[in-house]
Amino acid sequence: MTSNYLKNYRFWLLSLALLAMLVAFIRPTQNQPCPIYNYTFIIDITRSMNAADYRLDGQAVSRLDYVKHSLRGLLAKLPCHSKVGLGLFTERRSTLLFEPIDVCQSFNEIDTALANVDWRMAWAADSRIASGLLNTLQMLEKLDTHVIFITDGQEAPPVNPRYRSDFAAVKGKAKGMIIGVGGLQAVPIPKFNNKGEPDGFYRPNDVPHRSTFGEADVNSEKIQGYNARNAPFGSEATVGSEHLSALQENYLQVLSTEAGLHYQRLTNVGELAKALQIPDFAEQQNIAVDVRWQAALVALCLLVLVYVRIVCKQSKLSNY
Amino acid sequence: MMNLAVDTPWWLAGLVLAVLPLFNSGIPPSAYPWLPLLPIDPLSQAISVVLRACAMATIAALVLGLAGLHQTEQSRERIGYGANIVLLLDRSNSMDNTFAGKTPDGANESKATAARRLLSDFVEQRPHNLLGIAEYSTAPLFVLPLTDNKAAIHAAINATATPALAYTHVSKGLSMALDLFKDQPLSGSRIVLLVSDGAAAIDPDSELQLRVAFKRQNIRLYWLFLRTANSPGIFDKPQDPRDDNAGAMPERYLHLFFSSLNIPYQAYQAESPDAMQQAIADINRLEQAPMHYRERIPKRDLSGDCYLWATALLAVLLAVKFFEVKR
Repeated sequence: MTSNYLKNYRFWLLSLALLAMLVAFIRPTQNQPCPIYNYTFIIDITRSMNAADYRLDGQAVSRLDYVKHSLRGLLAKLPCHSKVGLGLFTERRSTLLFEPIDVCQSFNEIDTALANVDWRMAWAADSRIASGLLNTLQMLEKLDTHVIFITDGQEAPPVNPRYRSDFAAVKGKAKGMIIGVGGLQAVPIPKFNNKGEPDGFYRPNDVPHRSTFGEADVNSEKIQGYNARNAPFGSEATVGSEHLSALQENYLQVLSTEAGLHYQRLTNVGELAKALQIPDFAEQQNIAVDVRWQAALVALCLLVLVYVRIVCKQSKLSNY
Repeated sequence: MMNLAVDTPWWLAGLVLAVLPLFNSGIPPSAYPWLPLLPIDPLSQAISVVLRACAMATIAALVLGLAGLHQTEQSRERIGYGANIVLLLDRSNSMDNTFAGKTPDGANESKATAARRLLSDFVEQRPHNLLGIAEYSTAPLFVLPLTDNKAAIHAAINATATPALAYTHVSKGLSMALDLFKDQPLSGSRIVLLVSDGAAAIDPDSELQLRVAFKRQNIRLYWLFLRTANSPGIFDKPQDPRDDNAGAMPERYLHLFFSSLNIPYQAYQAESPDAMQQAIADINRLEQAPMHYRERIPKRDLSGDCYLWATALLAVLLAVKFFEVKR
């Protein structure tokens, strides 16, 4: 009699299924290296970020709004255990709102903080991108995070090439990326009155078109109307298009090379997520992954076989 | 009230497999010369039904486990002690100096460092309270909404270790802090805890707005004033009456403004980290009124229970195989 059920294939199928389930209980999880990320987003909130050259659902939206939209979309795409911090840039420095926190556990908090980023939070008005970047990289050096500096690259007032920021101190140490925001076509920058209401656009006379700080970067004798005391930059009226703003991609690429960072232009959430989740930024962490599904799937297949094969057998029998 | 959900719904298509045992019993048929010869046996029929049900339940349990059956996150209302607090932190440059107005050295910590340390402790002592953070210097900064996520709150408090910003524009900061309470259906008292080392005159426009907002939102205000040595205090009266104006003595006038709001208001003037600790302990003690709060019950994974049931049923099915007789 004992040998009867040993000859029965269903007995073996059920035994194996039970065995598989027991394995699932003995070893429910498996340590798998998963890439996790640690970013600190530094968002440029200077006026040029109000220029509306992105489109969202058929509506023209400002660069800042598009950045917020993209980052909020990105949050959902980052693997759990990744961390995200947030900071703001204006003038020539950044401030950190919060240090990187777990993107899954603190999703709502990060999302709300992002939604509330506003150009009105700017505590000063200049837009010195290069010195701001340098300041940010130095400030966050100890934090062991990847600085993602999001800007349109519009220096206001323009930089005097003689006094450029020197990134030698941070090159190699700093890890991160510059995200270029904006279109390549120059567009006007919206102006707001002191109550924060829209008030037209900046006109050529509203903004400086060149730096008048320190000494001119060219040989002073060649400057028209040069006077060492009264007109160190010459007497000619400056004309320029600094009241318009476009993504200064070349400039940002130069900056990123100098600072040893990556560069990416912001086009949409998917591209952004892909650009940020690169091996260079990933940290492999062993995360206990639930693998019970493997055993359960095996058990399910075995169990189904117990009841499927018989259909054929019965039909044979009935034929007989 | 169970609120069940699955992680990957398409696995549920596998539930179709659960009908298979209806078409066969999983037991090899034995040949009989003439079936009508066998009497109808209710017990056998019952066993057959039970076995099929067992098999169906096993398949269903496995599929539900694979789909990741879970109970969704829920909350239940409880009564605790405390309040909803918005921390309004001053990020002006002077916060990076010590209480003596000097650059911090090893022995004396800066006002910002002391505030950070003491506020972190304060947060730890209020497990059920919602906390929000706003900051201000020349412009207000929205940092975190009202939340019970302590990790986020600590991350925001730690972030104030980065260098401070520009000037003190307290009225915008106050508006931002009050905005955090807007549209929040909260029970319990609403508190703004202003931590600053200076003040600024409030312009008439925002003064009116603030008066209305403080009243409407039913705010209780605490001002923790970190007084630097030799600077005017909030309770000082000027010696020269000509100095008695908001421009010359913004601290005194901000205090007068807060006192005139007709809201519960308490000012603490701290001249050292110890005094600050005293003040924070005092606030902590005062703000322990009963309040309703929602306790979050995290999502509960039920796939383990599914697998356990499936295993038990498999064991039953296997055990039954031992009783099969083959002639």
